[in-house]
Amino acid sequence: MSYLSRHWLLVSSALIIFTLLTWGIWATAAEDVKGKPVVPPEGTYDGKDVEQPIEFPHDVHTKVNKINCLYCHTYARRSKVAGIPPTGKCMGCHLHIATDKPRIQQLTKYWEKRQPIPWKKVHDLPDFVHFTHEKHLKRFIFDKPEIAQNLSVDTVAPVCAYCHGDLRNMTVARKVKPLTMGWCVSCHQANEGPSDCWKCHK
Amino acid sequence: MRSNNINRRDFLKIVGWGATGTALAACDLPSTVTLEEGKETVVSYLSPEEYNVPGVGVWYASACTQCAAACGIQGRVFEGRALKLEGNPDSPLNHGKLCQMGQAGIQVHYNPDRLTRPLLRKDGKLTEISWDEAYKILEQKAGPASNLSGDRFAWVTGTVSGHQAVLIAAHLESLGSTNHYTHEIISPTVGQAVNRDMLGDAMPRLALDKARLILSFGADFLGTWISPLHFSTEYAKFRAAPRGVLVQVEPKMTLTGANADLWVAVRPGTEGVLALGLAHLLLAQGGNAANIPEATQALITSHDLAKVSAITGIAGERIERIAALLKQHSPSLVLAGAPVEGHAHGYQAVAAVQLLNVILGNIGQTIMPSGELPFPQMAAVTGNTRNLLTFAEAAQNKAIDVAFFYGANPVYTAPAYLKLGEQLQNIPFKVAFSLFPDETTLAADLVLPISSSIEDWGSHVAAYQAEQAVITVQQPLMERLYGGTVGFGNLMLTLLKTRNPEAYGAWDDYYAFLKNAFLTLPGEFKGEAPNDEEFWNQTLQVGQLKIATLAKTLQANIVEIALPDAPAPDTNYPLHLVPSAQLGLWDGRHANLPWIQEAPDQISKVVWDSWAELHPSTAAKLGVEQGDMLKISSAQGSLQVRAYIFKGVHPDVVAIPMGQGHEEYGRYAKGVGVNPLKLLSPIVDGKTGELALYATRVQVAPGTATKGELVREGRDNSSQLGRKLAGTIPAEQFRSTEGA
Repeated sequence: MSYLSRHWLLVSSALIIFTLLTWGIWATAAEDVKGKPVVPPEGTYDGKDVEQPIEFPHDVHTKVNKINCLYCHTYARRSKVAGIPPTGKCMGCHLHIATDKPRIQQLTKYWEKRQPIPWKKVHDLPDFVHFTHEKHLKRFIFDKPEIAQNLSVDTVAPVCAYCHGDLRNMTVARKVKPLTMGWCVSCHQANEGPSDCWKCHK
Repeated sequence: MRSNNINRRDFLKIVGWGATGTALAACDLPSTVTLEEGKETVVSYLSPEEYNVPGVGVWYASACTQCAAACGIQGRVFEGRALKLEGNPDSPLNHGKLCQMGQAGIQVHYNPDRLTRPLLRKDGKLTEISWDEAYKILEQKAGPASNLSGDRFAWVTGTVSGHQAVLIAAHLESLGSTNHYTHEIISPTVGQAVNRDMLGDAMPRLALDKARLILSFGADFLGTWISPLHFSTEYAKFRAAPRGVLVQVEPKMTLTGANADLWVAVRPGTEGVLALGLAHLLLAQGGNAANIPEATQALITSHDLAKVSAITGIAGERIERIAALLKQHSPSLVLAGAPVEGHAHGYQAVAAVQLLNVILGNIGQTIMPSGELPFPQMAAVTGNTRNLLTFAEAAQNKAIDVAFFYGANPVYTAPAYLKLGEQLQNIPFKVAFSLFPDETTLAADLVLPISSSIEDWGSHVAAYQAEQAVITVQQPLMERLYGGTVGFGNLMLTLLKTRNPEAYGAWDDYYAFLKNAFLTLPGEFKGEAPNDEEFWNQTLQVGQLKIATLAKTLQANIVEIALPDAPAPDTNYPLHLVPSAQLGLWDGRHANLPWIQEAPDQISKVVWDSWAELHPSTAAKLGVEQGDMLKISSAQGSLQVRAYIFKGVHPDVVAIPMGQGHEEYGRYAKGVGVNPLKLLSPIVDGKTGELALYATRVQVAPGTATKGELVREGRDNSSQLGRKLAGTIPAEQFRSTEGA
């Protein structure tokens, strides 16, 4: 057997044992975390300002107009990605609202040319990290009766803020949380999230 | 080679430490990943379809078109793009499994060498034209006004079935032509002829799971024989308790041979003699000789152990052991594959093997009648090499004016002696319906780029059906990648509309034709569906339509067998060439798929290359060492390839896998390895006229030494070919640089 295959044997055996050990802990813990208070992750990051094709003002939508985050990022509860709202959804309002504003005229131009808007990605994770919005929303929003029964931007946005910062007070999104493995793990430990390698690295 | 003996205690120790080490190391390692904010573009939909959720995949059922087995597949569609293929769990053929060729089907679709515009030969060079021009030229050369007579027109295709076969047949009929040459190099044609004559059923159902012993003469049913994935699932049942015994007799170890309990190397061309020797032993021990004609009985009697052992090169006690195993394990199943078929006396040898099934009483036990398909026009028109020879002859005689090519690459697969490339010059107008610039396509005068099977509609009926027969439905998993391609069915309808507008004018496209064909089936095939629309949707959802077949019965009619004792020796060309087939490259059609090139050969572990297998004793005699460049010559030509020395070949054999050595066929296939088919001698099976693939004799001489080596998977990580796909460093170095 070559060096390579022995290496693989070791790594995979180690992973299997590690998984079996940690799985047991998580399986028993999962039952009673629902009721416990959430410990939001600590730490900040000073991300750079990202130039977007249209300067989208999150604050105007969420703070002034009280639009729920999940109204536009509608896939967050159903998929691993939150989704950038389809241009059609923007136009649903902006066919009539604020049509005199230059940014809306920019938006309308894209729509009329039938071109999607080339937004720039602000929150990126490496390809070997499997992060799912769906599971996190379930844990922190839909499993929490006090939020689930009163879904509004003011109950949802603080949860989104764990990783994205409070967009109610930001215009264009900026990375303000570290999103590193250590940071993820500290939150998983504080809130009894899974610690199995394969949960995120698969 | 490094010794690598780890005992159980050591293993547990290492694993224990490994677990802790991995857990601790993972958090401390410096990250080499830099994440960039604002670099990557995230494009949203304009107006998304309701069923489309980004990040959530949907599986659709379809059909695999990577070989003629017509397995059912499911494709995972992610944001409108097909990303992954798996087996369809509902398919009675492959039961949710999919082989590496099927998995690599996605690389056919996304292949960067796809043809995307029609091409026309202008001043000897293929030049891009528009589809309008292409249709106009087709009309001029082969349309109703062209005065093309049917007998001077030909279709050259691979195995076709389902409604594609129906449309090709209709096109031929509209021209008054019968020239449909279906060509496949890997084809059980000789075996089918024997089955037809001896059992009255060309493709009986083989109940591998009912057998307690399988004696296979080179039938690589786990790799390349007829319906490998189906046989693999049946084989799993065969191997479950009580564990069936597998005995494989062949000149070169196949994937099936590697799984055998007893693997026996046989001198090429003497498999039939071994079968007669086994028959001799079985009858001598009181086997049932009732139905065997006297002449055959006399032939069997003359094959005593000493004679058979001398001819086949197999020790007498080993032959006796096989006979004893056959007696102990009943019912058994005896199979004959390509190495038995591929000789001048191939038919006779296969008949001798089939005779064992009669003597052992396996007919009706493990060899069952196949069902009669109620729609014969949809049955698979299976290819062979006899048709290739007939086609080459017709071309040579200037008997063809227009030829259409689809799903076959005869310029690549034809032996050099046929000079097919030159013969094609005698056909004034050649049209290739093709996905890729392969050898045949680039020899055509008009090239029509067709859609991939992941973008197109179709229906397929496998030649070999499981107990439950099915029509597999192929549906597009995504939109066409290139607007310049047209689906094969759509093209056929366009051709047919010009010839027979009354019958075909009603269909807008192939989808409409196909849907109508299913909806107009007699009610008994539609099951419980409350209405037509529901029936169609259900069919698409499961990707297949189950068909009740008509009952057939098997006969056991023993044909006259005349076998030469042993192939005559050839002093100039002392070795036998085995152009072996492999689950992967197959007949060369998958050589343009990087996954297949990268997947190591199951036996030699070689990647991205050809190799010649030699027995250590033969290598020693020739003074050849592992990896040496060899020059292998037959009377028809020569090629250079590196030696792979191992014991899984008969000492009289040089085995070179088929599939490499493309002169064209895109960036991944072109110029990789060699094509052993080019060396084949003009020998055909006496009874069926099928090209004898295993009958060529060769000699081996030292090749021109060049740099490089045979690249094998795993060994010293060299399969990465310097690409650092997955970086590794020795543990010592890791400890000194990264450890505490």
